Amino acid sequence: MDYTKQIQDIAGRLFSEEKIDLFIGYRNTGFDENQVPVLIKHYKDVDQLLFTDKSVFNLANYLKYEHTRNKRVGLVVKGCDSRALNLMLTENQVKRENLYIVGIACEGVVDETGEKAQNCVECVMPDAVIYDEILGTPSGKRDYQVNADIRELDGKSLTERQEYFEEVFESCIRCNACRHSCPLCYCAKCCIDQETATLFQGANTTSSAFHALMTWSLHLAGRCVDCRNCEKACPSHLPLHLLHKQNEKVIYENFQEHLAGMIQDDRGAFYKYSLSDPDDFIM
Amino acid sequence: MARVGVFVCFCGANIADFVDVPAVVEEAKKIKGVKYAIDYKYMCSDPGQGMIRDAIVAHRLTSIVVAACSPRMHEKTFRKALSDAGMNPYLLEVANIREHSSWVHQKDKKAATEKSSDLVRMAVAKSIANEQLHEISVPVTKRALVIGGGIAGIQAALDIADARIPVVLVEKSPSIGGKMAQLDETFPTLDCSQCILTPKMVDVASHPYIELLPYSEVIELDGYVGNYKVKIKRKASYVNFDTCTGCGACVQKCPVKVPNEFNMGIDKRKAIYSPFPQAVPNKPVIDAEHCTMLLKGKCGICAKVCEKGSIDYTMQDEIIEREIGAVVVATGYDLWDPKPYEEYGVGRYKDIINSLEFERMVSASGPTGGVPVRPSDGKIPKSVVFIQCVGSRDEAKGIEYCSKICCMYTAKHTLLLHHKVHDSHAYVFYMDIRAAGKGYEEFVKRSQVETGATYLRGRVSKIYQKGEKLMVRGEDAQIGQVVEVEADLVVLATAIYPYKDNPELARLLGISYDKYGFLSEAHPKLRPVETAKAGIFLAGCTQAPKDIPDTVAQASATAAKVCGLFAGDTLLKDPMVSKVNTEYCTGCQNCVTVCPYQAIVTEEIPMGHGSKEIRIVAKINEGVCQGCGSCVAICRSMAIDLAGFTDMQIINEIVSI
Amino acid sequence: METEVKEKIVSIEKPHLEAPPDWQPVIMGILCNWCSYAGSDLTGTSRLQYPPNIRIIRVPCSSRVDPWFIIKSLQTSADGVLISGCHPGDCHYISGNYYARRRFLVTKKLLNLVGFHEDRVQFSWVSAAEGPKFAKVVTKVTEDIKKLGPLHLYKKENI
Repeated sequence: MDYTKQIQDIAGRLFSEEKIDLFIGYRNTGFDENQVPVLIKHYKDVDQLLFTDKSVFNLANYLKYEHTRNKRVGLVVKGCDSRALNLMLTENQVKRENLYIVGIACEGVVDETGEKAQNCVECVMPDAVIYDEILGTPSGKRDYQVNADIRELDGKSLTERQEYFEEVFESCIRCNACRHSCPLCYCAKCCIDQETATLFQGANTTSSAFHALMTWSLHLAGRCVDCRNCEKACPSHLPLHLLHKQNEKVIYENFQEHLAGMIQDDRGAFYKYSLSDPDDFIM
Repeated sequence: MARVGVFVCFCGANIADFVDVPAVVEEAKKIKGVKYAIDYKYMCSDPGQGMIRDAIVAHRLTSIVVAACSPRMHEKTFRKALSDAGMNPYLLEVANIREHSSWVHQKDKKAATEKSSDLVRMAVAKSIANEQLHEISVPVTKRALVIGGGIAGIQAALDIADARIPVVLVEKSPSIGGKMAQLDETFPTLDCSQCILTPKMVDVASHPYIELLPYSEVIELDGYVGNYKVKIKRKASYVNFDTCTGCGACVQKCPVKVPNEFNMGIDKRKAIYSPFPQAVPNKPVIDAEHCTMLLKGKCGICAKVCEKGSIDYTMQDEIIEREIGAVVVATGYDLWDPKPYEEYGVGRYKDIINSLEFERMVSASGPTGGVPVRPSDGKIPKSVVFIQCVGSRDEAKGIEYCSKICCMYTAKHTLLLHHKVHDSHAYVFYMDIRAAGKGYEEFVKRSQVETGATYLRGRVSKIYQKGEKLMVRGEDAQIGQVVEVEADLVVLATAIYPYKDNPELARLLGISYDKYGFLSEAHPKLRPVETAKAGIFLAGCTQAPKDIPDTVAQASATAAKVCGLFAGDTLLKDPMVSKVNTEYCTGCQNCVTVCPYQAIVTEEIPMGHGSKEIRIVAKINEGVCQGCGSCVAICRSMAIDLAGFTDMQIINEIVSI
Repeated sequence: METEVKEKIVSIEKPHLEAPPDWQPVIMGILCNWCSYAGSDLTGTSRLQYPPNIRIIRVPCSSRVDPWFIIKSLQTSADGVLISGCHPGDCHYISGNYYARRRFLVTKKLLNLVGFHEDRVQFSWVSAAEGPKFAKVVTKVTEDIKKLGPLHLYKKENI
């Protein structure tokens, strides 16, 4: 999967036609094979852009920030990235008319080991769902499958899961990188940072981390697109996808809703209800 | 700095017998922030409230906790005590140590006391975060909606209209009058029912302040007290009421015959019909389910004979919208179907009827000319057995309550039977005789003495056919023997059930109902005509079985409530509503989606920090907000909070124990 | 640090080793004002008895319940949480309980994933007329929590 030339051409054209102020794409780190996001402001820099199976990060994240707000922005989005973008549009965080969206019919990106990333193996929608133009041949929607790690955890006992997650929460250092890297975490003042002191604690303790991560994942329930930006950003390598995939599974299996961001103007599952939602777990 | 006053009530023996009240006071004194704690026998009494008022001033208290009965009982009372002392009434919290402690943990005083102390701790912690709130003024639409045109609805409509308040009266059937129009005479005076009812019906029709919508149903109600919007479906009658003179030629000529509901199916009516001669409005309607013209496009005789050309087969249902400020629900009752009493042969034997069928038979204008007859052969019965409590007071049949009116109307029936068939004999199988109203006991006595009716205390176990007669086997408990009575006719006093569509109507209106479908009053003792939803009131059997005097009284009571609601130009509204902190709001508008009252809109505000740009945030209309808190929990940024149940108040409660 | 943390985390599957003989669980109850709280008042008025372990917080509607109410309760004194609202279709605020029940299910399952027994957080629909049901519900929840023993997971070190 290599759309380097096409991306450079598109960005170049957009700049020369003065259709955009910024282009968000990927460039090499300069010291290894990996790629990092880049904000291109001038036509002369478009040759930094590339797109391969190492173009991992969800670039929609950068639409949260001051330097892109109210500017005309071009950006590259894969399937999952575009779903996040759909939700950001539904939730009024971004104006469609300010964007030029280059969609990718993605074939999956690789992880640190060079293998196809887990979320790409399980991907439900590799093709961009919103775009101004799309690169590659769309392959269409795939069947939902429950995350492999969640299936494994389901088979473990309660005690085993307690021990496993205790280590996870203990390792969290409350750096908030997960929040900063998630396109759907755009609250100017995150509830976790608010000064209702008894409610949340910034302290770096296991119990505070448990509370913060539970809250964070519940706020993303029905909205997470499984782009894994959060896991990539986490310095403690926490398996954050477990929390999100668990919520996604419960929502998928119990409520008749589209997956997050699949459909335009579709809000997350918590903002809707159905008269036939299950409540046999309620006495 | 918090200075909380704690007032613990003995509530006579209600709390004191099961909770060590002085110990609760002592524990309260140890709580950080509590500056004053005391107990008293009856906190809600005048001296009790005086103690609170005095303490507020003497100890410069900043919030008050009363540990007593449920806040649903006396929160208002104590709030008033606070205002009387010049303190904002919303700085009060109530710890429920009666319904939630003393009354439910009667076997473990130590545990009940510990729990009560914990509940006080929670209330103290919550009250420290209480904010001063002020009631909100909202406009009020001075028009009432009355649902149901029986005696309850009629009385309520007349009383409200007499106060010069416009009323919209909606009735499902083509005429108002309800069950009372079907009665012959009423106990205990034996007044002719139609004679006392029809003047009221005519008053309704001619009242300048009443808009009567017959043959109509309420299909939607939006809004909140003082500001409701109702949608009413007026069913197509296919008759132009403006031009129709009520001459009845169409009814005469109509060839279709259908069982007559007004006469309980004893005789037939036409497809174009008026339910009874004194119907109001006295205009016929076409029953679309049986009219040959409407079903098959053939016939059309009524249109041909109508001199005024009032028949219009193309008429459509009409949706009528009205703005109203209050609703009175008076949808009445129906008779329970005694099919489960298989041992009585219901449905098998023709000569078993229910009390309304008997009522229609003895009515002078009824289907049998005012004389009871046996349905099987048309002969006049001489021996009539009345069975009380068919369904009522019978757990096995699923109805535990007493239907209240049957003892009285059966006594009436024995008198009516005696008047119509002089040589008849009545037998009444009963469990108890409930004759608690004014003149009621005397009336029952009269029935026994005047008619010589035989009152047998015992249940009927079986009815079977013997030749032309029905044999009624039951117990005479007073002689301790099983008896069998030979009957020409058996009349069952079946249970009365609330209007069958009450659950659906209740959901539409947003009020509650019980397992039988009776609509729920706000409090069974002290608020019998209000519902939990402000502005919606109940009158008549829709709330519980009752006779006509009580129905009329309740209907007038709802009218008083409505007039009270409409007395000012504005309504003062509960200030426990949600509010947006625009600093935290991201403008995602998920709150707009979940609000059940569409109370949330968006507004543009400056971005701030020297920027000229604008951003969109949510804005809550405090007049519309009902304070559910759906938006609060849905807001990820915690940008919305609910006054009276703020995040701070709740977290304080949680961490206090 | 490691030892300190390991001391706090105790398996909840061996309650009989943990709970002192006179241990009593604390159940945090969160009831909606119009149905469940009214129903619980009716339980009181009817003098029906139930275990004294529950502490009740009143909210206007089950939809007011944010998952942090549950999490914070479990992190402080509660060994279990009971949340109760109006039956679906009967919500005083029309639709509150429909949104609430979605949140309830996801929160319950997520807590179970990270190691909380399913019975630690329970839900009920209790109407204003269901006094006896409320007593039954509280009795059941209290017994379930007694069997599970004291909760030690992620308790807050300081408030």
